[in-house]
Amino acid sequence: MNKKLFTSLIILVIISMLLTACSGKAAEPEVLRVWIQWGDNPQQIQTLFDKYTAETGIKVEVTAPLEVDKILPALTGSEPPDVLVLSGGDLVKSYYKEGLVDDLTGAVQSGKIDLTDFFEAPLDQCKMGDKLLCLPWGTDMYALFWNKDLFEAAGLDPETPPATMEQLAEFSDKLTKVAADGSLEQIGFLPDMGWDHSDLYINMYDGFWYNEDGTKMTANSQPVVDALTWQQQFYTKYGVDNVMSFSSGWADTYMSADYPFYTGKLAMYVDGEWMTGPNFISAFKPEASYGVAPFPPPADHPERANTAVVQGTVAVIPSGAANKEASAKLLAWMMSPAVVAEEFCFNANLPTSKKAAEDPCFTNNPKFKVFTDLISSPNAKIIVTTPISLEFNDAWGLVIEQVLHTGMDPKPVLDELQATFEPKLAEANK
Amino acid sequence: MDAPRMNSRKFIWPPKFPKWGYQNRINFKIGMLFLLPWTIGFIVFTLYPMVASLIYSFTIYHARQPLEWNGIKNYTDLLTDDLFWTALYNTIYMVIIGVPLTLFSSFFCAVLLNLKVRGQAYYRLIYFLPSIVPTVASTILWLWILNPQAGILNILLGYVGIDGPNWMTNPAWSKPGLILLGMWGMGNTIVIYLSGLQDVPTSLIEAAELDGANWWQRLWNITIPMVSPITLFNLVTGVIFMFQYFAQAYVFRGFQNLGYPLNSTLFYSVLLYQNAFQWLKLGYASAMAWVLFIIILVCTLALLKISDRFTYYAG
Repeated sequence: MNKKLFTSLIILVIISMLLTACSGKAAEPEVLRVWIQWGDNPQQIQTLFDKYTAETGIKVEVTAPLEVDKILPALTGSEPPDVLVLSGGDLVKSYYKEGLVDDLTGAVQSGKIDLTDFFEAPLDQCKMGDKLLCLPWGTDMYALFWNKDLFEAAGLDPETPPATMEQLAEFSDKLTKVAADGSLEQIGFLPDMGWDHSDLYINMYDGFWYNEDGTKMTANSQPVVDALTWQQQFYTKYGVDNVMSFSSGWADTYMSADYPFYTGKLAMYVDGEWMTGPNFISAFKPEASYGVAPFPPPADHPERANTAVVQGTVAVIPSGAANKEASAKLLAWMMSPAVVAEEFCFNANLPTSKKAAEDPCFTNNPKFKVFTDLISSPNAKIIVTTPISLEFNDAWGLVIEQVLHTGMDPKPVLDELQATFEPKLAEANK
Repeated sequence: MDAPRMNSRKFIWPPKFPKWGYQNRINFKIGMLFLLPWTIGFIVFTLYPMVASLIYSFTIYHARQPLEWNGIKNYTDLLTDDLFWTALYNTIYMVIIGVPLTLFSSFFCAVLLNLKVRGQAYYRLIYFLPSIVPTVASTILWLWILNPQAGILNILLGYVGIDGPNWMTNPAWSKPGLILLGMWGMGNTIVIYLSGLQDVPTSLIEAAELDGANWWQRLWNITIPMVSPITLFNLVTGVIFMFQYFAQAYVFRGFQNLGYPLNSTLFYSVLLYQNAFQWLKLGYASAMAWVLFIIILVCTLALLKISDRFTYYAG
């Protein structure tokens, strides 16, 4: 082969490969991409979005679930998804500061999204001043679950859950069984069953680890100390090692019939609304006789009844999205009551649209109604987030281990936490 | 050929190559062409990320905004970061305890698997099989084996009167648990040792036997020195692997925080991952990566240097 021809051919091949890699974008989107961080059933989500294709002719590709380390590349890459659904709003403000997500005010106007149809608490987590950084798409709340059979066996009224946090501790005592050799056979209440629920307990003591606008750390304030002390008793009373050994591996059985709440090893615990739907208790232990009620307030503050914390999924538009108009249209479609009702009815999650919440799918289940009442409660709280939220949350996880799982005194642990994160927050808020 | 130049002590630069004929030049170009895919891959996926991370390590990283120059602050901040020291301690623990233990037991197993007994092929299969189980699967399996309530390990320990520890929730036992998990999957190391053992010249062993050396003396004076290069290889790769220990620790915490329990499984790479992808501190994480690179480099060079004293290269 002629030498020059050979070389030019090679160069041509390389150039064409490079060009394919960075090909230009079409003016009209043929395919939109939605990335969803959670997603137990990706096929179901795809089927939902196929309806958008049927309505508009625009294909939607759903990628779900996503590991947390895919989120940053998703937002920073050259071709971010057109809509990104995050498991929580913790980082949205940080993303906005980094220029990774758009203010949605324009998209709300152009898509004629009715903000009054949203429950206030979940929408609040998306607001930063006059900006709207995300839109909640389904949400979670937590309440107290109790096993009626175990209540009856312990001589308690199976229809009456504890009315105060103090009474909950008394009930727990009656519901805990210790064997002759000192080991545990049954636990009344485990405060961090599954995962940590301190945000709920601290709110019951009327505090949080940040002040309301997220400008100050209040990690060692009295409500936080009280909430940790309250939780600690459920460990220290029966011996931390005993409880740890008895409850070891429980979290891994969450999606199985071996979950201690089903097997009668645990009488009361805190969990979310999805448990009352078709995919959990009724799937794994259909015969379970259980009750659900709002978590009780402290005895001296009955006005804090129905305090609950909203946590849940939010949708954002990445600032690098190719076609913002198309993203906004898709977002508006996702937020429409019918779509919200269909998606969250399937997964038994709380709908964020008030109209969707009237769907019989949600109202026919009296246990689910406990949660829909909580979301519209004036005491529904959001989790205050800051740019250091995730780093703080990991440090908080360590605090929970130190106080609950090793029995350390809460106050000095919290003082140290405060000392570590006060400067970090000040730095991040500059 | 211009061979004599190899022997001359003078250093010649630029080196003079023998004049190539037409066919040689064509061959060279075709060779380069075959190398091209790798070269492009190396530049795009290794060299570029390395250079970029070196630059990032001196900055505060913003994805869609210009990098913010931060001097050596990322590096100096490491010194005062408690988590950094915790992670470094945990990692060094694994290197100092885990690597020698794995090395010793894989050598021991290899010696046993090298004996001439009936059904040896099956024993070898049994020992090698775990190493082909994917990391995540084997770690999840071990979560069950180590479960203090229902796990088989504590049940077996119970039969001999030992009250097994809370492997996964007690910070004193989580790292030993991970080392156990690693030893279960040491089939690859065993295979490398086994090949080394089969390379030990039988003439030496027989000569020693004639001289009246017993099994232990033969092992100590002939086998161990003869496989010392294999030991060095396994040691160096083991140390590098342990410094980068990540996947098992990531899965082992189950549904808990990374580092659970009490940051006892917060290894260097785990903290690096956390800084980079969870806390969005990519500049800081890049600095951590470079510090790790330097630590591994120094350790490897030191091991190679020290190895002169205990490694015997036959021939």
